Amino acid sequence: MIQEKQKLCLSCSIFRKEIEALQASGQLDLPVEFLNSMLHMVPAKLEARLQEALSSARLQDPEREVVMAYGDCCGHMDTFESEPGTARTEGINCCEIILGSEAYRKLRKEGAFFLMPELALAWRQIFVGQLGLLGPCAKTFMQEMHSRMIYLDTGLVPVPHAALQEASEFLGLPVEILPVSLDPLLASLRQAVQSAHRHD
Amino acid sequence: MDRNYSQDLLIAIERADRAGANAVIQAWAAGRDFRQVVPELLAPVLETFGKVWATGHGGVSLATGYVASKIAEDVLTRLLQEAKDSGSVLPVKGPVVLGNVEDDFHPLGRKMVAAFLRADGWDVRDLGVDVSAAEFVDTAEASGAKVIGASAMMYTTAKNVAKIRQEIDRRGLTGKLQLAVGGAVFKLRPELVADFGGDGTAASAVEASTLFETLRQRALTLDSPAGGLHP
Repeated sequence: MIQEKQKLCLSCSIFRKEIEALQASGQLDLPVEFLNSMLHMVPAKLEARLQEALSSARLQDPEREVVMAYGDCCGHMDTFESEPGTARTEGINCCEIILGSEAYRKLRKEGAFFLMPELALAWRQIFVGQLGLLGPCAKTFMQEMHSRMIYLDTGLVPVPHAALQEASEFLGLPVEILPVSLDPLLASLRQAVQSAHRHD
Repeated sequence: MDRNYSQDLLIAIERADRAGANAVIQAWAAGRDFRQVVPELLAPVLETFGKVWATGHGGVSLATGYVASKIAEDVLTRLLQEAKDSGSVLPVKGPVVLGNVEDDFHPLGRKMVAAFLRADGWDVRDLGVDVSAAEFVDTAEASGAKVIGASAMMYTTAKNVAKIRQEIDRRGLTGKLQLAVGGAVFKLRPELVADFGGDGTAASAVEASTLFETLRQRALTLDSPAGGLHP
């Protein structure tokens, strides 16, 4: 009898609520280990943590198929993907994975700056604490590169209206709320599961 | 005691204090020829800042890099205005083409490079984000630029640098049109510069002008009748 190989998903915590909802609804049967999304602020740390998680997964079971629910978020993501039995969700970043490629490209061309639910609550920590953007510099910086902010509402947490309003005023950009389906994320995860299997 | 303008300007940049930096420049310019602000004050300070930045942003936030580029823009704006008022013309080093490669939508690094290049006298043709290989090379041919600067943040999009390389080679412009590349992934993985067909990169946006000058000279040498056989 051929035994099916064990699977594991290593996911950015930015997808935690969404993946847990897909698991709870029975649409996704995949064990998931979440890594802190704030690791993105220092890509080298994210890379080291991902490497550690991949090594640990393989140490426990060398045959295990690993899906990474990530965009192209650190310098050697392609190296991780090239390991046998490993695949990554398709998309440059979490916003493209959630939106799907076509919608992402269209909105990005229009100058949209996306806020995922988890990051919307941490906007001040990111823009001020990590990026050092203060006062008029923050507005100039954002207005020079973006036309508006779009909050990607996956419908799993209440829309943080107060935080979004604060971010909008601080960064000098209007904000709009875009309801999004979990279908592109689910499709991307399923595709990655198949790719990891073929990649053996 | 004489004021140390260079130190004051560097401190203002490191604090991401654009207004403070411009105040230092204003104070320096009192009683001086403003046209000397780039060689005598801004360039040396940016060189120092660039060295700190190139070592991995030790204490240098994204905001400070951005503010440094805005200060360069502010200086250029004033230089252009003074030149216009006096009916003079600023020296121009030559045209260069900049853009984010196809599928890349991260303009910050490119905009900073453009600001530093313009402040240093380059005629920058900035094509924006998501630029096709053909657009890069068409613009270079039409403007007579000897250097293209292509920016990509991630490996996925950096692969599209290879398309520009192919387009340059396909049109028989190998060597005569140089390809500078930049962006986070090239800093993390310098081997990708050659892998994707780039002719060079700089450790930071501040150092882009030096790189572009080196590449321009190389292109001119290779494009000369002697074909670079003589010094």
